[in-house]
Amino acid sequence: MDALLNLTSGFQIAITPYNLFIAAAGVFLGVIIGVLPGLGGTSGVAILLPLTFTMPTTSAIVFLSCIYWGALFGGAITSILFNIPGEPWSVAIMFDGYPMARAGRAGQALALAFIPGFFAALISVLLFTFFAPPLAELALKFGPPETFAILLLAFSTISGLGRGSPMKALASAALGFILASVGLDIVTGRPRLTFDVIILLSGFSFITASIGLFGIGEILQSAEETLEFRGAQGRVGLRDMWLTVTSLCRSPATFLTSTILGFWVGILPGTGATPASFMSYGLARQYSRHPEKFGSGAPEGVIAAQSSAQAAGIGALLPMVTLGIPGSPTAAVILGGLYIWGLTPGPTLFVEQKDFVWGLIASMYIGNVMGVLLCLFLVPLFAAVLRVPTPILTPTIILLSAIGAYAVKNTTFDVWLLLVFGAAGYVFKKLDYPLAPFVIALVLGDMTEEALRQSLIMSDGSLLIFLTRPIAATFLAAAAAFFFLPGLLLLWRRRRGRQVAAQAWRRP
Amino acid sequence: MKRAEIITALVLMAIAATVGLEAVRLGPGWGDSGPRAGFFPFWLAVILGLSSLWILAQAVRDRSARMASPFFPAGALRLVLTVFLPMAGAVALFELVGFYLTSLAYLLVYIRLTGRQSWALTVAVSMLFPAATFLIFERWFLIPLPKGLFGERLLPF
Repeated sequence: MDALLNLTSGFQIAITPYNLFIAAAGVFLGVIIGVLPGLGGTSGVAILLPLTFTMPTTSAIVFLSCIYWGALFGGAITSILFNIPGEPWSVAIMFDGYPMARAGRAGQALALAFIPGFFAALISVLLFTFFAPPLAELALKFGPPETFAILLLAFSTISGLGRGSPMKALASAALGFILASVGLDIVTGRPRLTFDVIILLSGFSFITASIGLFGIGEILQSAEETLEFRGAQGRVGLRDMWLTVTSLCRSPATFLTSTILGFWVGILPGTGATPASFMSYGLARQYSRHPEKFGSGAPEGVIAAQSSAQAAGIGALLPMVTLGIPGSPTAAVILGGLYIWGLTPGPTLFVEQKDFVWGLIASMYIGNVMGVLLCLFLVPLFAAVLRVPTPILTPTIILLSAIGAYAVKNTTFDVWLLLVFGAAGYVFKKLDYPLAPFVIALVLGDMTEEALRQSLIMSDGSLLIFLTRPIAATFLAAAAAFFFLPGLLLLWRRRRGRQVAAQAWRRP
Repeated sequence: MKRAEIITALVLMAIAATVGLEAVRLGPGWGDSGPRAGFFPFWLAVILGLSSLWILAQAVRDRSARMASPFFPAGALRLVLTVFLPMAGAVALFELVGFYLTSLAYLLVYIRLTGRQSWALTVAVSMLFPAATFLIFERWFLIPLPKGLFGERLLPF
């Protein structure tokens, strides 16, 4: 019941006219960011982060999280109407959403994305409301060894569950940690890795890095191909909404499994909405009674991908508020924002910053209601954004990125860094180096190092401290499992594949 | 692609070596009050060095089609540079004349020359964008944007 009481006071904070306005602005900007291909949620949040510097902290988190909710909704519009993903997490929505739009059922496809997406978000926020407080209470008992073990768990899920080479994920994370350690040493105060360059004393900012790597990198990559927006027209009618609701009530299985799976994947550190939507889409196809319809306009495909993405978005903020580790790359940028506003992410927020936490949770309800209403009724308006010619969009996004990078520390040095990170992001993307581990390592670098060094001081230098404390040891075991499991599965499958092949060869 | 993979891995190895040397100078081991400043960077350098060595070895051995394909598909380099070079120019200009004049010049050049849009549209966007950012950032959110070394004298406000 405590949660309900706190939630009520959270709503009192979130529905002040100023915070409602901030939430609406955030959702609106978020949908536009979602609609625009080449401007992802992560870089969008990073570019707009400086706007929050002068806001009260609760309004700031409401703004950033509402951008996230808006972007989660908005990506679907571009995917369904134009067959171009507005966001990485809406790629899977294209598979069935666009064929539906081609067949003249664009309105229905959009309704199938928004309405189940909204309910998925709602269920996830309810889970969030009742799971977060006990989890935070548990986390309050953590010492440095537990913190370090859970951070290791975060990084092993990122590199283990990511597609592509785990070694590249490892290199990317190590590079992020190295950049995080540039500047003054957190314990001894000694300058390190600055090579006598004064401006490096203040270290690298994750905002510049994430805008450069994600934002500028995406722009450079999309410059390679000239996108043409020839898409279907779409508007969601009342009949489309009604059909969606009735079909949801008739067969809720796909919707419910995608929501739960999405929420779970979202909680896992560093994974987020993109893998969640792919996994749910795959699961829905595998267990469908007519899997052959997938890819040519199956409503379940749209439902699975979108509800899972939205549930994951909410889930991604759960470890951020309770443990201080981000559940997704976008959550990592929001978490970095918390540091800038002078807050310490993690379980102490529930004790010291009650208004902040419960204001955020209440705004999740409000933001998602706003998101679904905006999207259902203003689809034509948002789709019109894509008619702005790319030669105008590209330079304006670049200029906004420059403002974002500059405003972090008010130095033009960061704008130069933006160029470097942009070029690096382009190369990394082309060579399949994952960027999420890099940014998350940059945000969490100091915290990780502090936890490790304090643990070692506690144990007088023995690494055994991580194995003798039960909670830390459990996390470490889970970390090892997540890191090695995908590789072992692959090996096992390959071996079995070889046996099957060998048998097949013997048989004839 | 293969060459790009190898060069990237070598660059990462060079970074690892530089960081490793610096960490050794700072003290990678145990000091009076626990691990010294170089402790964390040292092990990071080791991890980065080993993982990039692995990536290098993989890239050298890999003979798949992906490796044989060029890093820049035909014509891609030119397209990427038409975005990157004006951006680099704008950053250099940013340092000199600040944000507003830079955005005006950059938008004029980019939209007209690269984008081949009409003069009316070009001028409209190039004027409106700096005006809008001035209102939003400087007036509403109180974030002053730089006017550069000379911008102060060139701008009336």
